[in-house]
Amino acid sequence: MRRREFLRNAAGTGLVIGTGLPSLCLNLQAFADKGNLSQVEARYYKKLPDREIECELCPRACRLGDKERGYCGVRENQGGTYYTLVYGKACSVNIDPIEKKPFFHFLPGTSALSMATAGCNVNCKFCQNWEISQVRPEQVDHRDFSPEMVAAEAQAYRCPSVAYTYTEPIVFYEYMYDTAVAARSRGIRSVVVTAGHIKPQPLRDLIPVVDAIKVDLKGFNQKFYTEYVRGELKTVLETIGIVAKSKAWLEVVYLVIPSLNDSLTDIRDMAHWLKNEVGDRVPLHFSRFQPLYLVKNLPPTPISTLEAAREAALAEGLKFVYIGNVPGHPGEHTYCPGCARVVVRRTGFAVEDIQIKGGRCKFCGAPVSGVWG
Amino acid sequence: MAKPRVVIIRDASLTGPGNPPERARVVRMFQRGFALLTGERDDRSAVMTVFRPADRLGIKVNTIGGRAISTRPEVSLGLAGWLAASGLVGANIAVWDRTNRELRDAGYRLSRDPGGPQVFGTDTDGAGYSDELIAHLNVGSLFSRIQTELITASISLAILKDHGLAGVTAGMKNYFGAIHNPNKYHDSRCDPFVAEVFDAPPVKAKHRLSVLDALVVQYHRGPSFHPQWAERYGGLVFSFDPVAADRVGWALVERFRAAKGLPSLKEEGREPAYLATAERMGLGRADLAAIELLEESLS
Repeated sequence: MRRREFLRNAAGTGLVIGTGLPSLCLNLQAFADKGNLSQVEARYYKKLPDREIECELCPRACRLGDKERGYCGVRENQGGTYYTLVYGKACSVNIDPIEKKPFFHFLPGTSALSMATAGCNVNCKFCQNWEISQVRPEQVDHRDFSPEMVAAEAQAYRCPSVAYTYTEPIVFYEYMYDTAVAARSRGIRSVVVTAGHIKPQPLRDLIPVVDAIKVDLKGFNQKFYTEYVRGELKTVLETIGIVAKSKAWLEVVYLVIPSLNDSLTDIRDMAHWLKNEVGDRVPLHFSRFQPLYLVKNLPPTPISTLEAAREAALAEGLKFVYIGNVPGHPGEHTYCPGCARVVVRRTGFAVEDIQIKGGRCKFCGAPVSGVWG
Repeated sequence: MAKPRVVIIRDASLTGPGNPPERARVVRMFQRGFALLTGERDDRSAVMTVFRPADRLGIKVNTIGGRAISTRPEVSLGLAGWLAASGLVGANIAVWDRTNRELRDAGYRLSRDPGGPQVFGTDTDGAGYSDELIAHLNVGSLFSRIQTELITASISLAILKDHGLAGVTAGMKNYFGAIHNPNKYHDSRCDPFVAEVFDAPPVKAKHRLSVLDALVVQYHRGPSFHPQWAERYGGLVFSFDPVAADRVGWALVERFRAAKGLPSLKEEGREPAYLATAERMGLGRADLAAIELLEESLS
């Protein structure tokens, strides 16, 4: 669907207003409220005097008066009680290869029932999904899709996992949490694709009910986070650290944007930090940027830039470094850290061959970290 | 450079508790406000100083606060009716905000009456948001098609309130209700975002007049309604200069705060920084000494 068509639907404007300068009385149709939003009490907030609340889900800690919404646009103070408006309100549902998330070391070659609600708690100027992440829930079409329905649908379509993705699942935390519990009861795993802006306690509470978390590390200096993400690097690193110490599988993605976050110094520092704080086995993906949303003045990332980033991270000692969004590039494959042979061969999101058994390379027996089956 | 003029019209009968304001008294306030602002004696001349007869006028109200602390229907519809009687086409006047739900909750009856004025939210079928993202300085938003396509001229008719982040919310911040993502622009005390949303072409090119509904002013713990900190001031504030209007609104908020022994917004670290930004951007004057203030009380 083209963006124009998408937005027309997203805005709920099925009718086209007449050409030229329209009269005010043309084509204004019914006054039906948009949205059909949920009213489920949020789990992380504290009540303050005078019907105010403070959100305790993400580091923004929005302090809101009655009738106000948080930065995410999907949580609202109603009379001193804080509600999520998107519980069970999925605006995007698809069955994707799990490599699309991307997870390369978690159930490769399988499908994930992938879902999102509207909303996000950062505002990346280069957002690749801004039509659903940077809007309010009443501005997009959505379907009622309870946690139990999600789990049942994943099972019906033989998806071994549910992925909370596309937007920022932290903003639909309660829905994600309950869905993960429902999915697990059916033997289905849960994977989270996040920018990592969450407070430690809700993160620690979430980790036991999910199986893998992919964190988008948008850059490696605060200036970039301030200007282009409107977030905090420190928080994201803290999130990565907490996940790394947990039982959940962790992968990290770094979208490389020409001239904005492609400094090899930053990339070396980032790889160094990952190796020291997380370990050399964490998969790191350098993804290719496409000009979208508010950064349209830059070209797609040159492949040579991605290759230089990958080389720098490998030189720092990371073992699994990938190039993303460049189908057919040899940087998509997994190479055995022991014998350097290809143990998972990929083209785009398709897995063509897996030479791993019992978590070890079939050629040399070296362990290859991941969740392989 | 001439000082921008700000006019405050008060009606003593509207300062006490009780029923909604009578529309006739509100209309008198608009008559006097327009007269003092334009220097024209008759209504039609005053209105035609600001608008063309063929203008399609949007009166942007602020209804997020519910019935207790929103632009009152008696005020906005009183203005619309008076403008229609003074040279504009009634069918070409719309009173609007972002959602029908908020309008209804604030006491509005939605209307598609072809005789006008029409009352509806951006989420009405046939309205919605613009197809194209408008990127302007630090702002990237879809603007309401009411603002971008349906109207040719705009009045910001906002309620005057203290605001926990921006300091005050008045005529300029009212246009946050014209974009799809206002929640993204409350960082750093809403600065520079209030000024930059106003400066975006769909707003700046069409804004003609700021009127602040200061019949009841929430001077503390806003923008939500708290009756113990709401002053029944009984005033309307008018200006062609959007920055000056808000600056005078800020001064009123400070006056009520001081009277109640509350610290100033500056002392609380939240003076409205967006006004200085707006002045630097050339949108108007933020210095009280550079503003001509006319006040009149109606009996």
